[in-house]
Amino acid sequence: MGPSYGQADKRSRNVWLLDVLKNSNLEPNENLTFSEPSRSGLCVVCKGSKLLCGKTRCPILVKVNYFLKSVPLLQTEDIDGSSPPSVFIGRIGYPNVYAGPLVPPIREDTALYDLPERWFGKSIDDIVAFRSMLVRGKHRVHVQNFQEAGKIIEKTRELALATNSVDVELILKKKPRGHLLLDDEVQPFGPSAPIRELYVGNARWDHHIEKAYTDTDLKATPAVHELYTKGVLVTKIQRAFSVGAFGIEKNRKFVPTRWSITAVDSILSKDLMEKVKTYPEINEYKVYESRYLGNLFEVIMIPSMWSYEAIEAWYPGTVWNPSGRNVVMFGDSEGYEGRTTYAEIGGCYYAARLAVCELLMKERRQATVIVLREAHPGYIMPVGVWQVRENVRNAMRQKPYLFNTLDEVLKFIGSKFQIPLQKWIMRSELLKNALFQKKITDFFAKPPLNA
Amino acid sequence: MFTLKVADAKLLKDMITSISILVDEATFKIDPDGIKLRAMDPSRVAMIDFEWPKTMFEEYSASEPTKMCINISELLKLLKRTSKDEIVELNLDEKTAKLQLKITGKYQRSFTMPTLEATEEEVPTPKVTFNVKAKATTQGLSQAIEDAQLVSDHVKIEADPEKLVLNASGDLMGATITLQKGSDTLLDLETKEPAKATFSLSYLAEIIKAASATSDIATLEFSSDMPIKLDFQQTKEGKLTFYLAPRIETE
Repeated sequence: MGPSYGQADKRSRNVWLLDVLKNSNLEPNENLTFSEPSRSGLCVVCKGSKLLCGKTRCPILVKVNYFLKSVPLLQTEDIDGSSPPSVFIGRIGYPNVYAGPLVPPIREDTALYDLPERWFGKSIDDIVAFRSMLVRGKHRVHVQNFQEAGKIIEKTRELALATNSVDVELILKKKPRGHLLLDDEVQPFGPSAPIRELYVGNARWDHHIEKAYTDTDLKATPAVHELYTKGVLVTKIQRAFSVGAFGIEKNRKFVPTRWSITAVDSILSKDLMEKVKTYPEINEYKVYESRYLGNLFEVIMIPSMWSYEAIEAWYPGTVWNPSGRNVVMFGDSEGYEGRTTYAEIGGCYYAARLAVCELLMKERRQATVIVLREAHPGYIMPVGVWQVRENVRNAMRQKPYLFNTLDEVLKFIGSKFQIPLQKWIMRSELLKNALFQKKITDFFAKPPLNA
Repeated sequence: MFTLKVADAKLLKDMITSISILVDEATFKIDPDGIKLRAMDPSRVAMIDFEWPKTMFEEYSASEPTKMCINISELLKLLKRTSKDEIVELNLDEKTAKLQLKITGKYQRSFTMPTLEATEEEVPTPKVTFNVKAKATTQGLSQAIEDAQLVSDHVKIEADPEKLVLNASGDLMGATITLQKGSDTLLDLETKEPAKATFSLSYLAEIIKAASATSDIATLEFSSDMPIKLDFQQTKEGKLTFYLAPRIETE
């Protein structure tokens, strides 16, 4: 949400969306501003009634519905409520970014609003409902010079380290205004406005996080490991990470929320991977499964040394493939030695890697792991990387299907996915390896049979 | 008691580097007449067969056969501190299970590192009848492999009596590299019967890159859909051989 959008809403009110709303039973509201029209042009024709995009529900109407419900509660410059706690650090303008708290106009225990670890199983509607109540206060800060940025940023940091909901009074420079972005990749959240003043009530800090925060000689990476080992939730570590709470004092800086999520997933899974690599290999093929929010995950574990791959397939009509005619597949993999470059498919690669490493660590085994994800048209809007982490974690909690051969695994997977097996195999480096790469041991002693 | 002394640290460093690309923990067999290592990488796709007779060293003494398991990357860290023409001495103290590494050059330093529990596993060599034997410069091979890596992660090697052809095909791009018998790169080629086999380029590239530091000439032997044997000629009587299992696409 950068300055470019600010200009857009002065320029025009999106006519086609008002038109869509007229066709639904929702009342348009002047406080809604729409900055980006549909790219496909389908929405203009469809108006939310024909589902031309192929999704099972109109994502615009889902968002607008909750938006309209929350707008009357947010018609004020003075938001007085309990922050879950939650903060958001933008990435636009980096290193000069907008940082600040997310506060709902509700005074109760709102911890759930920013704790994806407890969201698994909730519907898209539930999640959009409470997320859209969160008003985002914005304050410009340079990621490195946050110490000199004044009280608002200081209070934002304090809030980020709190263990429970904290009473917050968020006084804004103007009434919060919302943007309904159709191609947004952040989990839904409510309207935003610049902060005039910020009052944060007494916050009790998580004592593990506080210890890492006050230790200005402890590097960020070991700090993150230590907190995780002590049982601090990934979300809480990530939230503190984003406000520069860890690391050697002079190196501390604010980290945009999106980057901090991936950084923490990556740091944690890297550490687990090294431990996993010291354990014996599993001795049979396993497949773990989970379905949630229109996403089907099949996680294959092959008895072999550690290596990892994540592939996702998007149906036409799903979030990242709104107007395509063909299934789009992305994937990335790493071998035993790990990777040194950023995975092309982004944050979900690392989130799933963490979830699978957690299980291998618990079972003290290593394996070659392939995470396959099929996003169906029921996945109407992006909800954030947590969906992948929690969905795969859920798969890991299930009893696996067991097999003796890779052929049996593939047959099983083929029966679960709508996308033909051959497409998955062609896209998967590790499956191709497992199928085609011979082992030197195949050529010991007796001559090998022709494969 | 086992000790050895190398007059040029580079020799030891290059050899340990070659081992490090496949194995992290290596169990060396130490005999009165030399040291040997035969090991597979964690995925058991490739294998190294390495021998250093005692004639390679300025001084060598091993009173009785023993095994020594060490962490190769840790050893390599220490060896990276050496420079050319420095003298390296290794001393294994079996009582404390520690390996001492003494480097003498512009100044003298001595490191100790722990040894690990040796594996009992005896690794055989693969049983293959090779139909093709090619002798090539390691530099030329390295170049050819780098060419192929531009388009794919595996390469098909084909031999007829006149030439070696490397074929790589990726999702979109392809490459054909021809090495003619008697050219600057392919010094010799004996083809009993034409053969073709496909191999992982990342393994080939790493093996050839590391081994070229120790050798200018490599001998490749292979047969259709069989492991390839890469033997890197050493200056003295040492032996550095790799085996790499093929990829066989079934559809």
